[in-house]
Amino acid sequence: MRDVIVIGAGGGGPVVAKELAAKGLDVLLLEAGPRHAKPRDEWTTFEDDANNPLTGYFRPGPSDRSKPAWFREWPQNSFVWQLSGVGGTTQHFYGNYPRAYPGVFQGYDGADRNEYDVNHRFPFTYAEMVPYFEWVEATMPVMTAAMGHKEQTFFRGAETLGLPVQTTKTTLGPSYRPQENAILQPGGTAGKTSDKNLLNYPQATGCTFCGYCFQGCMRPNGAPRNQFAKRSTDNSYVPMALTANVWARGGRPIELITDAYVTRVHAERRHGVLTATGVTWRDNNSGAEHREDARVVVMSGGCTENPRLWFNSGLPNPNGWVGRGYTDHFFDWLIGSFDDSTGNPKGVGSSARLDFPPYGGLENVGLPPALSAFAGTLSDSGIRGQYGNGRGKTGPWDGPAGRVMGPELKELMAGGIDKLMTVLVITDDDVEPDNRVTLSALPADENGPIPKVTFKHRQRTARTVRNREFMARKAAELLRGAGAKKVYRIDWAPLILHVQSSMRMGASEQNSVVNPRGETRAVKRLFVADNSALSNALGGPNPTLTSQALATRTAEKIFATYFGGDPWVRSESPVVSTDPRVSVRLGQLGL
Amino acid sequence: MPDADPPAVEPLARRAFPARIGVLGAAVGAGGLLTRSLLNPADAATNQLLPPAVDLIRPVLAELARDTLNGLTVFAMPGPDAYSRTQGTPSPTPGAMESGATDFMINALDHFVPFPDAIAQPVGAALVTGLADSGLADTGLALPGLSVLPVELRTLDRALAAYLQSDETLPLSFPIAGLLNLMATQVNPLAVNGPHLSPFARLTYAEKAAAFELIERTDSDLVALLDVHFPEPLKASVSGLLKFVGGALLEFATFGAYSEYGVFDKETKALRMRPVSWSLTGYQPDGPVEGWDDFIGYYQGRKEVHD
Repeated sequence: MRDVIVIGAGGGGPVVAKELAAKGLDVLLLEAGPRHAKPRDEWTTFEDDANNPLTGYFRPGPSDRSKPAWFREWPQNSFVWQLSGVGGTTQHFYGNYPRAYPGVFQGYDGADRNEYDVNHRFPFTYAEMVPYFEWVEATMPVMTAAMGHKEQTFFRGAETLGLPVQTTKTTLGPSYRPQENAILQPGGTAGKTSDKNLLNYPQATGCTFCGYCFQGCMRPNGAPRNQFAKRSTDNSYVPMALTANVWARGGRPIELITDAYVTRVHAERRHGVLTATGVTWRDNNSGAEHREDARVVVMSGGCTENPRLWFNSGLPNPNGWVGRGYTDHFFDWLIGSFDDSTGNPKGVGSSARLDFPPYGGLENVGLPPALSAFAGTLSDSGIRGQYGNGRGKTGPWDGPAGRVMGPELKELMAGGIDKLMTVLVITDDDVEPDNRVTLSALPADENGPIPKVTFKHRQRTARTVRNREFMARKAAELLRGAGAKKVYRIDWAPLILHVQSSMRMGASEQNSVVNPRGETRAVKRLFVADNSALSNALGGPNPTLTSQALATRTAEKIFATYFGGDPWVRSESPVVSTDPRVSVRLGQLGL
Repeated sequence: MPDADPPAVEPLARRAFPARIGVLGAAVGAGGLLTRSLLNPADAATNQLLPPAVDLIRPVLAELARDTLNGLTVFAMPGPDAYSRTQGTPSPTPGAMESGATDFMINALDHFVPFPDAIAQPVGAALVTGLADSGLADTGLALPGLSVLPVELRTLDRALAAYLQSDETLPLSFPIAGLLNLMATQVNPLAVNGPHLSPFARLTYAEKAAAFELIERTDSDLVALLDVHFPEPLKASVSGLLKFVGGALLEFATFGAYSEYGVFDKETKALRMRPVSWSLTGYQPDGPVEGWDDFIGYYQGRKEVHD
């Protein structure tokens, strides 16, 4: 009998695991995918080897790459970018840690208060969330991003839009700024040389500007795992959780088991109340099933897998909201072609952003060639110059929106990858019940019936569509302002990569799965702690910080409710994840 | 679900269909790949057709799939090759053929797309026989040359059906190629004849785009027709999957063409030579790095912010 079993070692689960390990609880962390304990042996810097969703080391699948990835049904032209493995999608993220906009929380009374997703606000105030933001920001740590040439290009464009520079953590209105990111900023020789002989730790510390965020961060070379620049959870929260005895008084290291696919959450009636009792998981390699009980179970498998596990466990869904309300920031993509170098794709994937509440935001994105080409062809608007698939909007970009394909793409790419700058359009999209996860009617896999992710992307709400069009225009204006000679709008088909709210927390029993404490309404002692518990799309900011802040809050609720402890975020000081005690202990553990 | 008998087969329509999905050209056209023994009525009479026919038809379908996917990958990234010339968009610099993108597609489709065989098999069967029965192929009656189709086609047709009904795992590249070739003959019926093995590879760039327009069209006839062969809720799933497949083929072929796949050594985790796309785009001219000297400071000199 464990105190707590956490299902999933992605962006959220390790937060709960680390916080409760620090309080001395017996925590088991189960991860369906690979451990990736030795990135220098397992990873490269190559796009197909890393990012191929079928065969890459960053795919949704078991450790054994000779086995197929896990198939999920997407009944529309779309791409759901799932990753298994310790770190989950933070393995390929860019470490951007903006706070959610205040307008998405209960009690917000700004002048634009009616312009947000007003029916799906967080069930508590922004002020209540701030200490949890601060706790995560200090733990990671979150810093103001250093600038490379591609950020300079972005800022040159942003400066033409008549907006102020944001110099606060909280976004108070339309503005632009360097990212606040969970990247250790460059120190020593990092960022100052391209000579690999001079880029070993500790001569170099923090970000070396290698440009390989999306292929996984293992730099500077020779650094302890918790000193790698990018603070994916495999480099931050997981190392802390595994070493909790050395940095927390009374702390107890977690046990981490990988290639452990949880297929069932067990629950039984206790005193008439349905109560979680434990889990069953399946070993990817042997196929053996294991069952273990716990006082509390935490679902942190992500927006697609949590609903699947819920359904496959036969848990009740009285209001029908399990899997519903999935938000994805309804991304779009604009490419600017320049005469001069933009600095693409060196440095952190994205270190500059523009926020525009209540519409959404923009950020620059640097990508190597294959991912750039992929991003230029993921469209709901057909092929530029050939067909529009019923769309193909025109606007301040050149020609109709649509795929840049074939000869046109080759000509664009031949101009030089460093002559491109791409801007991601991040839409503040509404929680909609029909954007959802259900079980697929396609055949089950070894772990049970598979999830089906449905997005009615051509039937989004008027507010969502308005927001996306508004931000796409801003992106085009920004690129023109930065000096782009030609601007392409791709009109992305759903690229479901920022994922939120499919097991949403809410004030109302009518449209939420999780109550304001993070516990599921239908099953006691069962909590949800990852992006799926977010109440909404946050207004557009990248979700990880808010998700981890909420997971920290949920960890406190678990500890106070079921283990008789006191909350700590307002009374204690966080330990930073780069703490040398963690590094030393990782070395002793051979990690 | 109604369990009515399938509609009676119209022989000529059934013959037309292998032509439409390209099997005819691959099997018995110029440089045809189908071994004579399969087409020899004497052999057919003495053999049970199964399993030997399965073994005989597999390489035919594989070559057809490769040819079709060559037509797809040069659509994603044209180069100096014959397929790009046929497409009408030749390019002097290396393209998809040189980058190994067709191998990338075949490897992915046949070995790593965990697509349920329970769906791939019926889709494949629908492409070979179902559509022929459905009426979509009726326009094939007007196709030039079909009135003189060899009598052996009946055997070929049976072999195809036998393959699809066998327990063999269906390589996903086969039905994908079938889909592309069917669409090719929709946009240009003359594509049943010409250079290369497959109708899709014979299309111009604009015609290939038109073929994808048909696949992507929200309520395409193809989707509706294929759905006939699946009960709900699978019906909606197959319909949605085809929309997904249309987009994914374009995106994935492009990703493969611009990736390091063709020159990556899995054993050493190193590149055997510089990838085509790196030379094209100037990406990391000296190969992989540990870092860049690209740090130019902090915007407006601000290194931290507070509320």
